[in-house]
Amino acid sequence: MKTQLKAGVAALSLLAAATFAADIRIDGFPDYDTQINAIKDGLPQHNIEMLKNNHGDHHNKLKTNLATGSGAGDVVLIDVGFIGSFVNAGGFVDLSDFYKGMAGDYASYAVEAGKGNDGKQYAVPVDLGPGVMYFRRDYMEDMGFDLDEVMTDWDTYVAYGAELKKKGILLIGNASAIANAYYRFNVAEGEGLYFDADGKSLVTSERFVRGFELAKAVRDGGMDGNISEWTEDWYAGFREGKFATQMSGAWLLGHLKNWIAPDTSGLWGVSNLPAGTYGTWGGSYLAIPKQAKNPAAAWDLIQYMISEDIQLAGFKNIAAFPAHTGTYSDPSFNESIEFLRGQKARQMFANIANNITPVTPMNGDLIAEDLVNQALDKVLNDGVSIEKALKDAEKQIKRRVR
Amino acid sequence: MNSDIASPHDLTQLEETGTQKRERFLTKFTPYGFLSPYILIYGVFGIFPVFFMIYLSFHLWNPVEGLSSMEYVGFENYVLSLTDPQLWQTMWNTLVMAILSGVPQHLFALPLAYFLVMMGPKVRHWLTTAYFLPYITSTVAVSMIFYVMYSKDSGIINAVLAYLADAGWSSWLFGGLKDVLPLGWVQENSLIRYSVSFVVWWKYVGFNTVIYTAGLATISHDLYEAAKIDGANSWQRFRHVSLPLLKPFIFFGVTLTIIGNMNLFDEPFVLTVGGQFAQTAGKTISNYLYQIAWEWLDMGAAAAVSWILFVVIGIFTAVYFYFFGRQGLGGE
Amino acid sequence: MTFNQATFIVNLYRKLGKGVVNVFLAVFVFITVFPFVWSAILATHDRTTMFSGGINFALGDKIVQNYGNLLKIMDFWTGMMNSFSISVIGTAVSLLFCSMAGYALATYQFKGKNAIFGIMVGSMMIPPVLTLIPYYMVISALGLANTHLAVWLPFTINPFGIFLIRQYVVASVPKDLLEASKLDGASELRTYWSVVLPLLRPGLATLAIVQFVFLWNNFLQPLVVLNSPDKMVITQMLRGVQGVPNTPWGAVMLGTTISILPLVALYLTASKQMIAGLTAGAVK
Repeated sequence: MKTQLKAGVAALSLLAAATFAADIRIDGFPDYDTQINAIKDGLPQHNIEMLKNNHGDHHNKLKTNLATGSGAGDVVLIDVGFIGSFVNAGGFVDLSDFYKGMAGDYASYAVEAGKGNDGKQYAVPVDLGPGVMYFRRDYMEDMGFDLDEVMTDWDTYVAYGAELKKKGILLIGNASAIANAYYRFNVAEGEGLYFDADGKSLVTSERFVRGFELAKAVRDGGMDGNISEWTEDWYAGFREGKFATQMSGAWLLGHLKNWIAPDTSGLWGVSNLPAGTYGTWGGSYLAIPKQAKNPAAAWDLIQYMISEDIQLAGFKNIAAFPAHTGTYSDPSFNESIEFLRGQKARQMFANIANNITPVTPMNGDLIAEDLVNQALDKVLNDGVSIEKALKDAEKQIKRRVR
Repeated sequence: MNSDIASPHDLTQLEETGTQKRERFLTKFTPYGFLSPYILIYGVFGIFPVFFMIYLSFHLWNPVEGLSSMEYVGFENYVLSLTDPQLWQTMWNTLVMAILSGVPQHLFALPLAYFLVMMGPKVRHWLTTAYFLPYITSTVAVSMIFYVMYSKDSGIINAVLAYLADAGWSSWLFGGLKDVLPLGWVQENSLIRYSVSFVVWWKYVGFNTVIYTAGLATISHDLYEAAKIDGANSWQRFRHVSLPLLKPFIFFGVTLTIIGNMNLFDEPFVLTVGGQFAQTAGKTISNYLYQIAWEWLDMGAAAAVSWILFVVIGIFTAVYFYFFGRQGLGGE
Repeated sequence: MTFNQATFIVNLYRKLGKGVVNVFLAVFVFITVFPFVWSAILATHDRTTMFSGGINFALGDKIVQNYGNLLKIMDFWTGMMNSFSISVIGTAVSLLFCSMAGYALATYQFKGKNAIFGIMVGSMMIPPVLTLIPYYMVISALGLANTHLAVWLPFTINPFGIFLIRQYVVASVPKDLLEASKLDGASELRTYWSVVLPLLRPGLATLAIVQFVFLWNNFLQPLVVLNSPDKMVITQMLRGVQGVPNTPWGAVMLGTTISILPLVALYLTASKQMIAGLTAGAVK
């Protein structure tokens, strides 16, 4: 009996070796479950299973798995917000050799962000969030404003808000988005978002002060709704046409069209951010934890998921904007979009994805991000002066980042 | 026992038989036997985390770098945390919300349980079920629903207040609100504590009521009959019969509220949209702890904050036990 | 004032008092039930009709569609069954363990008693945010990862439950009764089983509800322990589809509402036991 069993196991493993068949688990968050279900038949040599948890839970579970060295899936999905702290953690398989030959096919800023400080590729981009300004055409050209003029720089953008205010229209749902966009997307080459190359805090620098000033001007001028993003009030604001503009990733389009404000079709347009700034909202990466039992098979899945066809399928299935730049020449990128009054917006998204400058992730980014946002909240809502709020934040950052 | 002269009773004890020995052994070890599942399971699952967290609090550790990356830093985590103004701010927020939600919980639940016991069994059965609903509904669903009710522009609370401020019959009382409406219940630092406390209060009143109802069930109704014959009215019976006998349950309920409220996490977290708004007044120490541990990935500092919080809760509990423990724990 | 008038006034006060109490009880029912009923109503809507135009109390017509959607986005009934078996076994075992420990702490004098009680109360005060990692280390070291055992066994010695039972024994089990039972020659175990436990029925019913609700709503430990979709519990599944902008709230609300029903049913059963010691109107 025992020998029989052993023989059976041996035969099975022989079979496995012959076809490289493996059970692969991918850990991720919605909507990637939809995408996986739609595409998994295309990779029949492996048995693919997805473990889905919500965005926050998924990352907490992943942190626990990395901390204890067990329990993670063979492939894991990572949000761009965490990528900086994960690629230097030492918990992921170096994918450089697998990826070397194909890295050039993907948006370069995103490929850069997937590298650790040692220059090795620990995560590869699967979707991007090229950032644009969504604007209401009925509050723009239909009212006689000139888009190019409005988006000349941030001052003209705020001046446009002041004009709208006279007509009872708000510029944006929440002014804090303006500050965020300004200090995030004006990072000088070689700098981190919050720290310079030597790890010195940049939080009190001109970039942050100016960003805060813009947001404060908008808030004090009564040009924003002071409405939290992703809440019912915010959705209602879109539905009822309260806001003239909103900055976000390409993916917001799908949400606006499908459920937030389907009735406003034809009233929207997209534009580059003021002053021609290139920015990004969101994006996801794929990586293989070192604890994965079968890294080779796991790479098969990654390679499949970032292949051109599947990237295009993901764009159609779940509006995940492809990281593969080859997809941008697909005819679908030339389609005019009815919701945006016929604008060929995808070309703009693609152009942005190709032009974003990479930002070096730094130790302490997560801490600085939270503390700067807290400072912004104090400036906008509690009337604390910009100088004091940023100075306090910097003091906290210096204490906290060790 | 102090007497030198052995009584006949003692003599028999000296010459105890084998069975008696076994019995004595059994009596001595019975309590440990009863406690053995607790000791065993706590030993396996409970002790390690405690030592791990003590160890952690003296180390610098980013969890995503794995266990091997811990770095000894001595008392640095404690110094860093104790001199952190945000720690004391969040501690204060927690304390205020603990009191705002905790005290009314019990002031409400006690009479409620008493009234319920006065009602017929059928009414009581259905009413307690209704009151218990908030406790069994998942926090996420509850917080989402409250979030919608608290909504600044479309929430039902602001809608009702706006109506009251406008309507002829109530404007003398609510008219003053006109200038401040709509209120940002979960956005404003001045309101967030009340908004959170209300949800917490709402969630646990029913729970405490059930504890007190179960407590009242232990009181023999002969006692009430006797009190009645002595001419005690309803209030006096509550005050002199129910209340003293409920002491172990009040003690239990209040202890739980102290510990639970000082660890308050879910309600403020969800109502401020994961800590996006009204952080100055609305962030509890557990929220801060979570942020340090899971967002900033500084587990060592978080462990130190945990122990600081542990000591603070410990002090509150100890003071409470010192003053009320004799009555509350009873039987000793 | 005649005697009749006096009685009339006294009765009036009594009636007024009763009226006030009744109104108070009714208002409170409204406050506690309202959000629950509302979530049930939301379960009949879909995303577009749910919040449009502010607050809507009309029943929607999307319940069938929501149910279909619910089954599509998660293995709903597998999750329910998993939650159910975990909660039932965990609750049953914890009733036994907690009542044993609580009884021992309430009735016996022994060495280390205060230490054990202190550790117990102390362990309630440790913030749960941080214990997740060491908990998972223990679980995986014992080879219990991806098992249901790992998400109920550690919670069967809930200090809350032991404390509750301890207080209950102090309040409702007379010492004379225990003495009498022992004089009758009953063993310690027998005394506990056939004298003490029946007296604890209301306390055990309370504990059963609390423990069941805890195990049912618990998601943090299942999240890190349960790695295969067919072992996931219902809270985990329901959370799993939330948090993205296009959360199918109609389906989630329906799932949430259904998932609460076992708890309500259990409460209705246990509630009868809880007041078993009471005869109707005893306090009147």
